[in-house]
Amino acid sequence: MAEDILRVEDLRTYFYSFTKEAFIRAVDGVSFNIKKGEVLGIVGESGCGKSITAQSIMGLITDGPGIITGNIFLNNNGNTVNLLDGLPDYASIKKKRKAIYEISKDVLGWQKRSETLMNGIRGMVISMIFQNPKSALNPFMPIGEQIAESIMLHKAIATKKEALSFAAAWLERVQIDSPNMRLYDYPFSLSGGMCQRIMIAMSLSSEPSLLIADEPTTGLDVTIQTKIIELLKKLKEELNLTILLITHDMGVIMQLADKIAVMYGGKIVEYGLKREIMDNDSFIRHPYTIALLNSLPTIEEIRAKERLRAIKGDVPDTITLYRGCRFYDRCTLKNDRIKNKCKESEPEMIEIGTGHLMRCWLAE
Amino acid sequence: MRTRYIQKGAEVSEFSQIPLWRRGNRRDLIQIGIGLFVVLFVLSSYLVAVLHLLPNDPLQINLKEMMQRPDYKHVLGTDFMGRDILSRIIVGSQAYFMPGLLAIAIAISFGTLAGLVSGYNGGTIDAIISYILDLIDSIPKMVIILLAIALFRPGIYLIMLIVGLTNIPAVASLIKSKVIFLKKRNFIEAAKALGLRTRQIILKHILWHNCKTVVIIQATLGMGEAILIETSLSYLGFGVQEPVPSWGNMVAAGKDYFFRGDFYLSTAPAMAILISILGFYLLGDGLNNILEWRRKK
Amino acid sequence: MTHFISWRPILKILSRELLITILLLLGVSIIIFSILHMAPGDPLHIFINIQTQNPDEIAAIKRDLGLDRWLPLQYLSWLNNILHGNFGNSFRTGRPVFNELIGVSLYTLILTIGSMIVTLLISVPIAIFSSLRRHPVLSWGLTLLAYIFSALPVFWLGYIVIYIFTHKFNLFPFLSAGYAGTAKFNFLYFLLPIIVLGVGNGAISEIIRHLNAQLERVLSEDYIKAAKAKGASIWRHSFKEGMLIPVTTMVAAKIPFILGGAVIVEQVFNWPGMGRLAWQAALDRDYPIIMGITIFAAFFVHIGRFLQTIVYLFVDPQITAKGEEA
Repeated sequence: MAEDILRVEDLRTYFYSFTKEAFIRAVDGVSFNIKKGEVLGIVGESGCGKSITAQSIMGLITDGPGIITGNIFLNNNGNTVNLLDGLPDYASIKKKRKAIYEISKDVLGWQKRSETLMNGIRGMVISMIFQNPKSALNPFMPIGEQIAESIMLHKAIATKKEALSFAAAWLERVQIDSPNMRLYDYPFSLSGGMCQRIMIAMSLSSEPSLLIADEPTTGLDVTIQTKIIELLKKLKEELNLTILLITHDMGVIMQLADKIAVMYGGKIVEYGLKREIMDNDSFIRHPYTIALLNSLPTIEEIRAKERLRAIKGDVPDTITLYRGCRFYDRCTLKNDRIKNKCKESEPEMIEIGTGHLMRCWLAE
Repeated sequence: MRTRYIQKGAEVSEFSQIPLWRRGNRRDLIQIGIGLFVVLFVLSSYLVAVLHLLPNDPLQINLKEMMQRPDYKHVLGTDFMGRDILSRIIVGSQAYFMPGLLAIAIAISFGTLAGLVSGYNGGTIDAIISYILDLIDSIPKMVIILLAIALFRPGIYLIMLIVGLTNIPAVASLIKSKVIFLKKRNFIEAAKALGLRTRQIILKHILWHNCKTVVIIQATLGMGEAILIETSLSYLGFGVQEPVPSWGNMVAAGKDYFFRGDFYLSTAPAMAILISILGFYLLGDGLNNILEWRRKK
Repeated sequence: MTHFISWRPILKILSRELLITILLLLGVSIIIFSILHMAPGDPLHIFINIQTQNPDEIAAIKRDLGLDRWLPLQYLSWLNNILHGNFGNSFRTGRPVFNELIGVSLYTLILTIGSMIVTLLISVPIAIFSSLRRHPVLSWGLTLLAYIFSALPVFWLGYIVIYIFTHKFNLFPFLSAGYAGTAKFNFLYFLLPIIVLGVGNGAISEIIRHLNAQLERVLSEDYIKAAKAKGASIWRHSFKEGMLIPVTTMVAAKIPFILGGAVIVEQVFNWPGMGRLAWQAALDRDYPIIMGITIFAAFFVHIGRFLQTIVYLFVDPQITAKGEEA
């Protein structure tokens, strides 16, 4: 296949909590890559760090103090840039009181540098759509103006009139009726689905090489969710989009993704092509993935009005340093043979098929 | 009634198990520290004056010791009549302290009442109360005080009563926004479902648990304002009259000497005003940051 | 392709606002009328300065003036007079109050508006600076400095400024704005009181706090994050909600406060405005003047509120939408 658009290596995003006097390890050593025209779906429960991963890539994390380290290689028209280049590694600082000071001091410098690095990448090379589209659009600006702003920033279009007609064309592309009239509407008068279409139009209007979709269907009605997914699918085929899809919804992943990364407690526990993970029933899977898949009701079950099967237990807090596997408490597949191993040491990523990685002792 | 723009986020505050001193950062604690120090200073100077423990008689004219620099006998020096400035400043705090408390009491009690009633009931009652509060808000405080002075020649207590009345709208709108916010929350419904009477809900759940912070903060800021008003009026010659000392009339009395280059007479009481108002403001601000602490996302 | 502003809801809201303002001003007039009637002495003295002591003559004058009528009727005729600009005559000068007030209110307007601008020029940059969170210690220092200026007694600040400019620099003799025409540095006569009131009016710290809180809240909104993600300027997007609305709110809310501060600054600088007139009237118990000033001040306050509503209407599209529903 084609070259990597984005390659993330060992990304760590920690926040320092003053009240708990400890680091919250929101993202703890995440690596993945996306090739051109590919859709990578990151899936996991809420609080597993998937949104923070997206925001770290976009350089949108401004709540200091904290740590972001690792490498994010972005292919920008042939040149590869590291979005975290030159950002010093804070993770090694151990002394408690001093660490806080050092970090809060350097976060400012980090932010400045991050801003200069991201300048010309945000919106231009990587675009992003958000959950709760109604709050992601500026409530004080007509939507046409917001799309036109994005177009004028990133395309060689100088006049506002031209940009507005361009925006109308994009609105038509995301299947909005009478786009010329909609241009002057404010977000509060539009439905959530409409707002998400507008967000999609806005982020694609600059023709980015990567689209990050952070929970694009959350907060929308179920029927509208399907329509948004269909729209994304259609646009992906039309424009050969590269998408980093972040969701907690296995259904969305099943429909859109080519490649899946399952995240749990800030780490990727399973990573591979969708057909490797989903389609091959005989193939070995991570217990968490199995649990996620099992929580999806089948049509027969819905007809039989059975109760939904939730995964028992809670998401692990990301403050405690675990010695063993993070999923141990909730794991249903743990057996006596490997129990001690699961408790004592954290599994590494193990390759169990071509490009199929898994973080579980069962795989050995 | 009036189309007021509701400031989002102003009424949201989370209550948590985190202890008070851990909520704010070091700045808030420093601010509160300075504020408490000033409050202590004001309180103790009030006590000293009441208990007649003054270093010198503030009214004792001693023309032999006019305009003295600070020394051992007169810690802050003497004024143009040889009166001890320190004693006068200490006694000057009496001019606003009790009247200020009166203003605070009126503003808080009536403001809380108005805010609670209009926030909890809404509808016509809310419209009427809002109208009255808007009415109070229409006339500048200083102008209505001057109007009262022209007509009645009132004493400082009556003036502070007016100040208290004019402060009602500010307290009421804070309490009201809080009540409206809390009304939307589930626990009021839950309390109703449990069979608690309306009055109990208002008194216990809304007023006590959620509005006491507003009251504390407003009391602190109110005292700062009482000082401002009292000193301004005394400066204008309408408050406490010479020879009884007040910080305002002390600054005014030192005016001629100030322009001759003798800054001291005006500056000492001016600094007292500055430090006291600053202390109360800092205390109010710090308390606001800690008590109305909002959980970060 | 033109942008339509729908005027109907805007006019609807504005007319409602106007109605409320008129109702409030009527309420103010009732309050003033009742206070005047509660004042010690015969209400007759409040409206005219009479010389005679003969009870029959007084009764005759009362009948002529309609002061023996039913109180609400008296109020209506008084209100009628006020609406026609007839506020009575000043006891001190004997001239019509309205004419006196028109003369001085211009000075007070210059002073209040000018000092509001000075206050905003100081507080807005500090608020923006501290909401950036780039230099937390420096911004705390600036905020503390603003607190100190807010707590400074404005009359003492005035003394310092006067002393520096008259004695140290010998720029001009200590006079007032009324004599400004002839002096060399005449602009300073206007500028100094404006700056002193702008710095020392006590509103700076509150404006900074409000602006800062609102700006920080808006900057953490989702749509600002989205704007950042598309590479747009976050200031452009946060301007309306984070700057324009809080500034307008504060300006409208602080007008009464600054008018109060003007009373003192006008006193310190001999500024021939309404505040000084009010002080003089309070000293002389010049009832018609102080009554007129109260009405004028309430009028100013409501002009401010009305402008605030207009700004909201054109900034926030949701208000117009709600107006249409109502």
